[in-house]
Amino acid sequence: MPQHIKRLIGAFAVVIILFLLLQTILRPTSFGKIGHYRADAIQENKMKELHYAGSDKCTKCHEEMKTDKEVGFHATLQCEACHGPGLKHAMYADKFKDGKLPDSLMLHKPGSRKECVICHQLNAARVKIVFDTINNSMIKQIDPMKHNLVDKRNFAKLVCIECHNPHQP
Amino acid sequence: MTQHIQHLYEVLSKVDGYVYPNEIELNWSILIVLYPYITGLVAGAFILASLERIFKLHVLRPTYGIALLTALSFMLVATMPLVSHLGKPLRAYEIMVTPHLSSAMAIFGFVYLWYLMVVLLLEIWFDYRRDMIIWAGETTGLKRFLYRALSLWSTDISPKAVALDNKLGYIVTIIGVPSAFLLHGYVGFIFGSIKANPWWSTVLMPVIFLFSAIVSGISLVMLVYIVITRIRKLKIDMPCLDTIASYLFYILLIDFVLEGLDQIHRIYIAEESFDVLHNLVFGRLFFTLFIMQGLIGTVIPLLTLGTLQFYKPKIQIRKAIYTIISPLILIGIFFMRWNVVIGGQLFSKSFYGYTSFKIGLIGTEGYLMAAFWLIVPFIILSFLLWLFPPWKKKEDDHEIQVG
Repeated sequence: MPQHIKRLIGAFAVVIILFLLLQTILRPTSFGKIGHYRADAIQENKMKELHYAGSDKCTKCHEEMKTDKEVGFHATLQCEACHGPGLKHAMYADKFKDGKLPDSLMLHKPGSRKECVICHQLNAARVKIVFDTINNSMIKQIDPMKHNLVDKRNFAKLVCIECHNPHQP
Repeated sequence: MTQHIQHLYEVLSKVDGYVYPNEIELNWSILIVLYPYITGLVAGAFILASLERIFKLHVLRPTYGIALLTALSFMLVATMPLVSHLGKPLRAYEIMVTPHLSSAMAIFGFVYLWYLMVVLLLEIWFDYRRDMIIWAGETTGLKRFLYRALSLWSTDISPKAVALDNKLGYIVTIIGVPSAFLLHGYVGFIFGSIKANPWWSTVLMPVIFLFSAIVSGISLVMLVYIVITRIRKLKIDMPCLDTIASYLFYILLIDFVLEGLDQIHRIYIAEESFDVLHNLVFGRLFFTLFIMQGLIGTVIPLLTLGTLQFYKPKIQIRKAIYTIISPLILIGIFFMRWNVVIGGQLFSKSFYGYTSFKIGLIGTEGYLMAAFWLIVPFIILSFLLWLFPPWKKKEDDHEIQVG
């Protein structure tokens, strides 16, 4: 075999050996313990900060809302879908039993036209596919520019929850 | 908490109709457009080089070396858009040290390594080994060291050794052509095999990607050749350019027909996804699909190059036409990738809504980043052309073909 071909094979061998060597060093230690991924990744994801508490946690204190909600169209909605993430609110609630929670821990109270139409705006695409699983009815939809618009100049001030109880619409 | 709701408003202002929550933001942006674009340029440039080598089209000789070095420069950068797209780019090596065969994405490591190490580097090495040894004797300093090291300190330039190089190089090129097809067919395969996405999921996808890759690679080499000859103040080899242009015309024609077939098939079978795609094509994708890819990148080049097949104007005019048409095709193919990658994410898989795509100037997914990864291959190419000038090679190379 000519000299340069031998060297070429040698060079390839060096690259392969280097790769195998680097592989043993660089391969993450927990890799392959459970499957073809870093086992530590699960732990790392577990350590991530949580934001949502879940409805069960909310109704421990806000029991009246639970009874309201249970019989209405919004029964299957999670509280935090409208009120925003509330883990901190729930965690610190006990510490302010007698008084009010500071503003930074208070949750959002939606109810304006801008907010309710996120789900209830007239939407040709939604009509066909979104069903309320309990009553088997569609999500009610309105055209916010026309629906019960008493004062056209004050569109923003017309608040949905003045007529509809958001927990039992 | 109001800022969460505020954020929701902002996000929803991008959306029309109904989309699933994970479809609002596009996960694959311009860098993922660049990846098939750059790999396509590699495959195309290599296939042009192999036309000369395997099919013995000696009229293409002036572009052979340029095509190979262009392929290598772009190949070295092909992974970089993917790496810089990662949320944690410093972990990118992990994919390389944990290879496996169970996902189409992971196969890229093997395809890439095979093509880079076994095809491109080997072919260039066999092609330049003798020249590197000769040049090492004529130069000094760093350049001399580079030539010596890259030729692995070999010294044998006897006719027998050179003939063996040529024979092995020839074999590598023969392996290289299906490998180039595989490389780019593979990129199309990744998109074509995503069956949940009706814009991507077509068995024609690998073939369409492959032909558009060949088109873009040939245009790039054509442009690079014109620019280099102008910089070196030499006379352009018109028979060579004319031959490239005619190949470009035929392959562009095939590419156009294939894409047309794909669309006609879509229109004819009109599956349940048809309406959403119809609105996509005439709405959000109209400019990039019909104007950039269709008109600028395909129809104008096809008509111009087609005319040149029957009517040959003066050399100066032909040269000007090639100088204008090749970037137009390159732009068109870029937008073909854009329409596939971005277009496939603009509509909801519920088929009931659309999201929109906005790209920033700066940031890891911005225009500047994309421009950077498009410029880097040209810098590498300049270096490679300085180190391995194809025009300084001893001719008669491929004539000593054994067998």
